[in-house]
Amino acid sequence: MTRNLAEKKFNRNWKGILLFLLPAMVLYGLFFIYPIITVIFTSLTDWANFRKMNFVGFKNYVNLFKNSTFLTAIRNNFIWALVLAFVQVPIALSMALVLARKPRGWKLFRTVYFLPTVISGSALAMMWKAIYNPTNGVLNAILGIFGANNGVNWLGDLNTALVAVIVQQVFYFGYFMVIIFASRLGIDDTMYEAAMIDGANIWQQEIHVTLPMLKPVLITAITLAMAYGFRHFESTYLLTGGGPNHVTETMGTFLYTKLSSAKWAEGNSIGTTIILLGGIMISVIRSVLSREK
Amino acid sequence: MKRIAIAFLMLALVLSFTFAQSATESSAGKEIELKFVTWWTGADTKGPYVEQIVNQFNAEHAGKIHVTLEGTNDADGIFTQIMTQLGAGNPPDIFSVKPQDEFYGYYDSNLLMDFAEDLKGDWGKQFAEGIVANTTRNGQTKSLPYEMAYVPIWYNMEILNAVGITEVPKTMDEFWAMCEKTKAAGYYPTAQMTGGTNAWFSMLWYTSICGALGGAGAFDNIKNDWATNPLYVEAAEILCKMVREYTTEDVIGATAAVANSHFKGGETAAYLNGPWWIANLDDARQATTEMAFFPQINYKDVLIGSVQSNLAAANQKDPAKRAAVIEFLTYFTTAENAQLVSNAGSVLAVKYEPLENSSKLAKDLQARINEASGFIPYWENCIGTSDVVAEFGQALGAMIQGAITPAQFVAQIASVM
Repeated sequence: MTRNLAEKKFNRNWKGILLFLLPAMVLYGLFFIYPIITVIFTSLTDWANFRKMNFVGFKNYVNLFKNSTFLTAIRNNFIWALVLAFVQVPIALSMALVLARKPRGWKLFRTVYFLPTVISGSALAMMWKAIYNPTNGVLNAILGIFGANNGVNWLGDLNTALVAVIVQQVFYFGYFMVIIFASRLGIDDTMYEAAMIDGANIWQQEIHVTLPMLKPVLITAITLAMAYGFRHFESTYLLTGGGPNHVTETMGTFLYTKLSSAKWAEGNSIGTTIILLGGIMISVIRSVLSREK
Repeated sequence: MKRIAIAFLMLALVLSFTFAQSATESSAGKEIELKFVTWWTGADTKGPYVEQIVNQFNAEHAGKIHVTLEGTNDADGIFTQIMTQLGAGNPPDIFSVKPQDEFYGYYDSNLLMDFAEDLKGDWGKQFAEGIVANTTRNGQTKSLPYEMAYVPIWYNMEILNAVGITEVPKTMDEFWAMCEKTKAAGYYPTAQMTGGTNAWFSMLWYTSICGALGGAGAFDNIKNDWATNPLYVEAAEILCKMVREYTTEDVIGATAAVANSHFKGGETAAYLNGPWWIANLDDARQATTEMAFFPQINYKDVLIGSVQSNLAAANQKDPAKRAAVIEFLTYFTTAENAQLVSNAGSVLAVKYEPLENSSKLAKDLQARINEASGFIPYWENCIGTSDVVAEFGQALGAMIQGAITPAQFVAQIASVM
C-alpha cells in the first residue's frame, strides 16, 4: 500500500525529482565517473609524456604484476589496511568505551585524542621524523635510559622502517574514537540499567550490550580504516618516500612516482588496481562482518 | 514545477553573464597578467633578487604587463607541480624547470613556447656562446638555459686542519686518509643522503666519481651501456664505501636539508653542492672553506658542469601575451639582471660581468671552472625520467645496508629504465 503510494508520488513528480538530482549527478559523473573511465581506458595504452597513445591491451598490468616493487606495495597496503582496521579501530573502541563511562577529565582526553586529526599531516610527519632520528631522536634517547639505544635509524633500517611508519599512524585513533564515542552515547541508559539489574558487571555490559549496539558503526569504522589503508600515501611519502629500497612502498607512493615521471598509462594501471583490489577487499570484509548470526 | 525550472534557468543565465563579463574584461583589458612559477622565491638564495627583478619589471611596465611571482623554495615540489600542470595541458605562463627527460618530452607538444626565432635577434646574444644548444631539440628551443651548475667538493678546512691535514686531497689514497682521520676525530667525513626525489648529494658524489673514473664523457652513452659498463659498478663500490663508513648515521632517508645542516653546523668535512649555496655560509665559514676537484683516479680535474635549471613558458595564442612573455624573459636575462642574481652565488648561462666584490668561494669556483679538464653533467640529467632517478636513493639505501651488491645496485636501477 505504502509502496504504491510512493510510486504514484514518484510518477507524478519525476521531473522535479530529476531536476533536483541533476546537479549532483552531473558533478558526480564529471568528477568521479568520467575520470575513472578515463583512468581505466588510458591504463590500456602506452600513454607517457606527450606521446601519442597506442592501445597495448593489458601489457601495463602484466608488467605491473611482474614488478617486485609493486608486489611489495600491494603487500604493504594489505598490512596497512589490516593494522588500521584491527588494531587502530579496536584501540579507538576501547578508548571510546572508557570515555563513555565519563571518568575524571574525560572531556580533556576526548579533545587530546582527537586533536591530531585536525593537525596537518606534514607537521605530524616532521615530528615523527624527529622522534625517530637515529642521533637526536626522542625514541633512541628513551631507549638509552634503559641501555637499549643501539643507534637504530628507525625509518632508514630495512628491518624497522615499515613498522615505524605504521606504528606512528596507529596513534591517530582519535577520528574513529569520536565516531564510536558519539554512537555509544546514543545508546539508551535503560539498557545498562536492565543489564545491571540482571547482575551484569561493567565488562559484561560492554560485551553484551554495547558491542552489539555499536555493530553498525564498527563496521563503518573498519570499512573506513581499510579504505584509508588501501589508498594510504601521505605519511609514508613524507616519512620515507617509500624507502629504503621500497620496503615501505605503497601503491599510492608507487603511483605517485610513475605519474611524477609523466608515465601516465603506468600510473593509471596502478590506480585501477588500487580501485579494484580495494573494492574487493572492502566488499569481502563488509559481507563477513555484516553476516547475521 | 515551471517556477523551479524558470528559477534554474535564471540562475544559469546570471552565472553565465557574470563569467562572460569577467572574461571579456580580462581579455580586453590593457594590462597583461603573467604568472611566473618558480622555486627561486622565499628562502631560496636567489629569491630576493628574482623578486627585485620582477618588481622592477612591473614598475617599468605599469599598466601594460604585470608579472606575479608564485611558488615556494621547494624545487622538487615546484618541478612536480609544473610537470603535473604540463600533463594536464595547462602550464604556467612562465616557469623555471629542471632539465630532465620528462620535461624535454613536452618539446613534441604545442604546450611550450618556442623561442628559436626570437633568439636569432639581439636576445640570443645575451646568452653565453653556444649554451642555447643545450636546450635545443630538433631546432626547437622551447626552454632557455638559465642557471648553470658547477659542483666542486667543498672542504671544511677547520676540520681538516684540526686533524693535521693542510691541503685538500688530490688522490683517492689521500681522500680515504682524510676520511679516516676526520672520522677518528669525531667528525663526519662526507655529506650524503638517500632521501628526497634524487638523493641529491650522493648523486653528486656518484657523478664526480664517474667523472674521475671515466672522464667528462663518462655518461655519453649511459642510456645504452648503464647495465653493461663496469665503470658504473666500480663507481658504486667507491660510493658504497663512502656512504657506509664515512657519513652521518641518519644518511638513509636523509633529505638535502639534513645533509646541509650537518655541513653548515661544522660537523661534516667534505660536501658537494652548486654555487647557489655559497650565500648560505657566513663570511667566517667561507674563509675556512676550500673548493677542490674530486681526487684523481683515471682522470684529473673533471668538474660537474651542466645546465641546472631552464626557463620556459606556455605557448600563447594571443600575440600580445606572447610578446609580453618575450618582453619579460628578455628583461629577466639581461646582463644587469644576471649580475644581480649572481649575488646569490649562482653562475648563469647569460653573459654578464662577474661581481667585483664576489666572495672567496665564488672566486675559488671560478678558478676551478677555468682549470677544469672537462665537465661532466649530472647523472640524474643523463639517466632517464624521475622514477629512474628516484631508484638511485632506494638502491643506495639497500646497498649500504648490505642487502645488495654494487653490481645489483646498477642492475636495480637498470630494471626501472
